Amino acid sequence: MEVIEANGFYFPPGFSPEMPPVTTGEYQRGDKIVHLKFPVLTKKKVALLAGYLKEKRDKYLSGMPVEKIVHTLDKASRLWLDRKYPYRKLALKIIPVMTGLSPGAVDESIDVEMKSSLKEDILRALKSETGNPFYLDDFQYSESLNGYCRAFGPRLIVSFFSGNIPALPHLVFMRSLLIKSACLGKLASGEPSFIPLYLKTIEDIDPEMACSLAALYWKGGNKDLESAAFNQADAAILFGGVETLTSVMKRIPRRVTVLTHGHKLGFGVLGRNRLNYDALDALAASVAYDISMFDQHACLAPHVYYVEDGGEVSPKEFAGALANAMKKMETKMPRGALSPGEAALINQLRGRYEFRELNGEDVTMFASSKNTGWTVVCEKDPGIFHASPLNRFIRVFAVHDIFEIIPALRPLGPFLQNAALSIGDNREKEFISRLGEAGVARITSPGNMALPSMMWHHDGIAPISSLLRWCDVEKKENDYGIKSID
Amino acid sequence: MFPPDVKAVDEDILSFIERGVDHRDDEGFNRLAIRSFALQYKYIPLYRRYCQRRGVTPGNIASWKDVPPVFTDVFKAVRLTLLPSLTVKTFMTSGTVNPDQKGRVDYDMGGLALMKATISHAASGLLFPDRIKSRLFVIAPSPDIAPNMVMVFGMNRLKDSFGLQGSRFFIGKNGFDADALADALRSSEEDNIPATICGGSFGFINFFDFLRANRLKFRLPKGSRCLDAGGIKGKSRDVVREEFLDYCGEFLGVSREFCVNLIGMTETASQYYDNNLKNRGLGVDNLPAKFIPPWTRVLVVNPDTLEPLPIGETGLLRYFDLANRGHICAIQTDDLGRIIDGGFEVSGRAGERDVRGCSLTIEEMSRMTGIMEGI
Repeated sequence: MEVIEANGFYFPPGFSPEMPPVTTGEYQRGDKIVHLKFPVLTKKKVALLAGYLKEKRDKYLSGMPVEKIVHTLDKASRLWLDRKYPYRKLALKIIPVMTGLSPGAVDESIDVEMKSSLKEDILRALKSETGNPFYLDDFQYSESLNGYCRAFGPRLIVSFFSGNIPALPHLVFMRSLLIKSACLGKLASGEPSFIPLYLKTIEDIDPEMACSLAALYWKGGNKDLESAAFNQADAAILFGGVETLTSVMKRIPRRVTVLTHGHKLGFGVLGRNRLNYDALDALAASVAYDISMFDQHACLAPHVYYVEDGGEVSPKEFAGALANAMKKMETKMPRGALSPGEAALINQLRGRYEFRELNGEDVTMFASSKNTGWTVVCEKDPGIFHASPLNRFIRVFAVHDIFEIIPALRPLGPFLQNAALSIGDNREKEFISRLGEAGVARITSPGNMALPSMMWHHDGIAPISSLLRWCDVEKKENDYGIKSID
Repeated sequence: MFPPDVKAVDEDILSFIERGVDHRDDEGFNRLAIRSFALQYKYIPLYRRYCQRRGVTPGNIASWKDVPPVFTDVFKAVRLTLLPSLTVKTFMTSGTVNPDQKGRVDYDMGGLALMKATISHAASGLLFPDRIKSRLFVIAPSPDIAPNMVMVFGMNRLKDSFGLQGSRFFIGKNGFDADALADALRSSEEDNIPATICGGSFGFINFFDFLRANRLKFRLPKGSRCLDAGGIKGKSRDVVREEFLDYCGEFLGVSREFCVNLIGMTETASQYYDNNLKNRGLGVDNLPAKFIPPWTRVLVVNPDTLEPLPIGETGLLRYFDLANRGHICAIQTDDLGRIIDGGFEVSGRAGERDVRGCSLTIEEMSRMTGIMEGI
């Protein structure tokens, strides 16, 4: 039995008025035990910490050139991409225990997240959202205004994370730093271990920058602690189910800017002109990757793949090829551990599909034999979107025409996140605009569903510019001495 | 025409059930289990194909444990009935997620006779081992309102077989008549005749709320008892059970050793009672367990692989019920539980899951959008 010690919190350098007493959470899976330390919190300590973050933000971060911040973030990502980086090695031991994801999947997810968090991507994201990143440093001439503009981030962002997707909350910390905001994160019970390590990386590179960052964990619903944090916040970024978000939002003062990221879902669409034997295996492998990444727990993951009739390859043949690809994926990147409920749900559904198949209905099921490892079901589109029980269970719905699916998507509008398309003819443009109207926030290619860029409007929100406050100078005299950087 | 081969098996199962709850005959059980399975294999083509896929025939298995189980949800998708044209009674599940997607289980005359026998013999052994006579008050809809509810059928049977005059149902067309139940309990007190209150666990909770609001309390005569069926979702089972037992004492004057919980489901003909009243009669002081009647068996399986687990480990409960002759004997549930001394315990529904990622779940989707899946 291997015991691994780690922190379920991060305090910024210099913040230790009195280090609060610590409790230890014990998590076991297989032959590994993780001991995570959590400080015992009071509303006074949370308030003290929030105040400290703002004070240090005013002192250091607010005056840091955006280029320097980008440089630090880039360096952090590069460190994490190094397979020998000690924090990465530690994370690879801890996260599978915490989440049940397989080590292979965690390894892959860190690569994916960090590769899209490099300098070029960061700069492009800043540019696409602000027009000119230097607006964040000082007043810049704006031609459209015929004056000068500057953008200010909030002093303190409080963010509540949820779920067990590792290496995702770090985006919030990156974005906060880019707009020079201090950030206090409330870690998710499902995966509280990655962020403390990531923030330590920032501290190792630039301790002054890290002075504006902190991460804590408490059990959701603690009114005292949550109010203590929100009362000092200028902005809040919340992740979680809609019902949880609604109750958390009651504790946020009205002056605070709030961005919410509720649970969402994805799907894929394959047009008949892409369904040919030459490309079949590659296409199936891409779709299998979409389904297997994070075992469908991410909001980007597909629940259903719609496959059009009339191509060289039928929807049923495609489902068969997908089953083969899922089988290969199981070896390459094994699925994580399931709770009894998750497994039972899949078994119940499999039972229903198997009996419908035996009953002569036009249903075909391909499934792993020893356990619930993966399941591919092919049937005619029932005209209703079906949420997946997740954990590598995918429905292939056969459709006569891709445009037939739009009515089934419409009622899901606020929950539509991600769509992978491969249409292969000139209907694609029209189809994309219909998906956009229906509420989809991101459209990509099969195999790419889990790999959004930094530039992506996460959940349809501009994550950086939504938090900015602008100051425009429309004075006509030319004597105010604002110098331009460019 | 009722097939003679079915009739022959029914007669043997019936005499097995009629030996009561205090015999153990593993070989006899196993023989009847394989014979019932053979009938289901012969008469239900869909089930036969299902077994063939698994390479199982009545001839090539030695134990009831090898009979291919069917998941409860399957009854929502297809009809699995041994003698469909001879159906005399149909029970439906409540359809928790999608009201249109109800599970359906049919009974022919012979199968219904088996079910009636299990109800009588289980109640004799586990609810009335002291052979006490009482008025039976049922917090459930009467059979004319809910003819397809298996719990109602069972409680009606209890009322007719064990209840004194004055026994009745208290949920009618206008809902639960709590006032009338309170009156009935008052009469029991005045006449000093024991009362047996039975109903769904939620019905009891409603009645306790009513009594609290109206500041009413009863001290029911000696020998009175409570039988609640099912459980209360959404809270930790242990906490709820403790509260429930306290309320029975506080509001009804029924002490916890006279409170019995029962697990029954549409897909199984037999019911599983707590063994505390039975043990009390025998002077055994065990922790309460769900008693496994001799005509049934319970297996606990791994939720992922569905392979049997070692005794004592928690997994999904699988029932084998001889009285299920008319549909499928081996029923796989998604209830979590484990084998303990004296029987088994249920620790909740595996269906109540926690959300791990940021993906919308099936339950969330139906709550938020009203979209109900029907497969």
